[in-house]
Amino acid sequence: MSAWSFYLSTLAVYFGVDVLSGISLNLQYGYAGVVNLAYIIFQSVGAYVAAATALGPDTGAAAFQHYIFAANLPFPVPLVLATLAGGALAGIVGLFSLRRMRRDYQGAIMLIVSLIALQVVTADVSLFNGSNGLTGVPKPLSWLPLSPLAYQWVYAGWVCIFCIAVYLLVRWLSRSPWGRALKAMRDQEEAAGALGLNITVLRLQVFVVGGLIAGLSGGLLVEYIGAWSPGAWGYAETFVIFTAIFVGGLGNYRGVVLGVLLVPVVFLQVTQFLPQIGYPGLMDSLEWVVIGLLFMLCLLVRPRGLLPERKPLAAEGSLPFEATGLLPYLGRRFGKSAA
Amino acid sequence: MGLSHAVSERIVPKPANAPLPVLVAEDVFVSYGGVTAVAGMSLEVRPGEAIGLIGPNGAGKSSFLAALAGQNKVVKGRVLLGGTEITQLPSYQRARLGLARTFQMTSEFAGMTTFENLLTAGMGVEGAALSNVILRHRANRAQEIGAARRAWAVLQRFDATHIANLYGRELSGGQRRLVEIMRCLMRSPKVLLLDEPMVGVAPHLVARLVRDLKSLRDDGIALVIVEHALEVVRELADRVNVMALGRLIASGTYDEVVRDESVQAAYLG
Repeated sequence: MSAWSFYLSTLAVYFGVDVLSGISLNLQYGYAGVVNLAYIIFQSVGAYVAAATALGPDTGAAAFQHYIFAANLPFPVPLVLATLAGGALAGIVGLFSLRRMRRDYQGAIMLIVSLIALQVVTADVSLFNGSNGLTGVPKPLSWLPLSPLAYQWVYAGWVCIFCIAVYLLVRWLSRSPWGRALKAMRDQEEAAGALGLNITVLRLQVFVVGGLIAGLSGGLLVEYIGAWSPGAWGYAETFVIFTAIFVGGLGNYRGVVLGVLLVPVVFLQVTQFLPQIGYPGLMDSLEWVVIGLLFMLCLLVRPRGLLPERKPLAAEGSLPFEATGLLPYLGRRFGKSAA
Repeated sequence: MGLSHAVSERIVPKPANAPLPVLVAEDVFVSYGGVTAVAGMSLEVRPGEAIGLIGPNGAGKSSFLAALAGQNKVVKGRVLLGGTEITQLPSYQRARLGLARTFQMTSEFAGMTTFENLLTAGMGVEGAALSNVILRHRANRAQEIGAARRAWAVLQRFDATHIANLYGRELSGGQRRLVEIMRCLMRSPKVLLLDEPMVGVAPHLVARLVRDLKSLRDDGIALVIVEHALEVVRELADRVNVMALGRLIASGTYDEVVRDESVQAAYLG
């Protein structure tokens, strides 16, 4: 029973981290049309910064690994720095990759940046210990008097708090005038510019906001796993989240949650329970085949996803979304009948 | 006799008390990769005036309009808006100074409802600024409510409340054009550049749109209309400029330019 509990609590943490990733990518691509194929590097910089600012000096017992920062900052500072690092890296990458150019070119540049980042971090051992990565990251909530299993669930709850907070914040931003400006940019860039909107600034803003969330997700993940290495952040990881948001529904944050539940959790975890066939590692490889096929199937059959973007209904005297929902519907349905 | 001199002889003289031009283009040149699309075009339009810009295919009309809007780079010449030189300004900055435009292909925000299209235009740059949304939430909310009221007023003015909650992609061609025009209105522009506004519009809606554009002109907005449908130009424009091969070949009232031999030659080849 405790093995199942351990497994489910681990799944809950990964689910929460992937929800954060999905929210970030949905904001960037679903709302703003920014093709961030380098998403994983922003999560990774958060993970590395959280690790390197919590591990302490790379001397003594930690002398087997080398890394920058090498600080031993108290909770929750490493997580805050991880978040800021994600945003800062997004700002730097965005400055040169989000200029006025076609979206397919932007996507290509992002992919190239992701590949370069992986090579640099792997090759430069002084940065984050190269291909071996960092290990021994202290648990942030270890000061709580909890059993190992209880700690698992408390940490899952900790991640859940961030998920709820980020979900509500990003949904609020998406429904704001800024969010509508993003959608305008997504749909018709030139026309949005003709309304006075600075497209370059908007792209950079949404990229940085997404980067902040990505950094947070990386920090949360590394503080749970306790280790991080280049093997954890290949560029293909971004496609898992992209598949999730497409399957769930672009532009719909509930769809993101559903997509993350279905893709990285259900589809990928189901393969763990299938009988192992073929040579060792075949089933793991087949996971990527399943992801790819799922993505293609979604684009062919239901490109808007299982929960498409909700139509923001407005009525005279109300703003979009104020007329959406159960109570406004009931008011329209029965208010007219009563009249 | 030079072409420009011949053209100036046919320019309709303005009364002495005519308002100053709100949009002026002086000797504008536009080139694409060595090809000169616009070769020395000039234009003046006053508040409440509609200028038609006609000519055969490839005359450079849309290129000139795009240069006025900031989409095309002006390699030589000047563009002034309200007396301010805007030649080197990008399109979003010209929009902030009061220049609005529609596009040859309809540019409705397909994934947004008609109401959202108008609301986005009505909130403008300040309203959509992330810093204002986060740090000045109450003022931003009040501005949004004000913009929503104006949006409904515009929808009512154009009898378009029934399409308020339709996505841009769900609209007919004429409705999309109407959304573009309504969206421009939300910006309270000084000048409205219209690039073939009747393309794709059902015939029974053309008269409706012409009537709507006339009311905008009567409200004091300056219109520059590129259009192939000459009956629309005849109905709407106070003056007509005719372009061919990137140059102005005639200017005057509609009846004057259609009788001009050089205009007939340009159209008939």
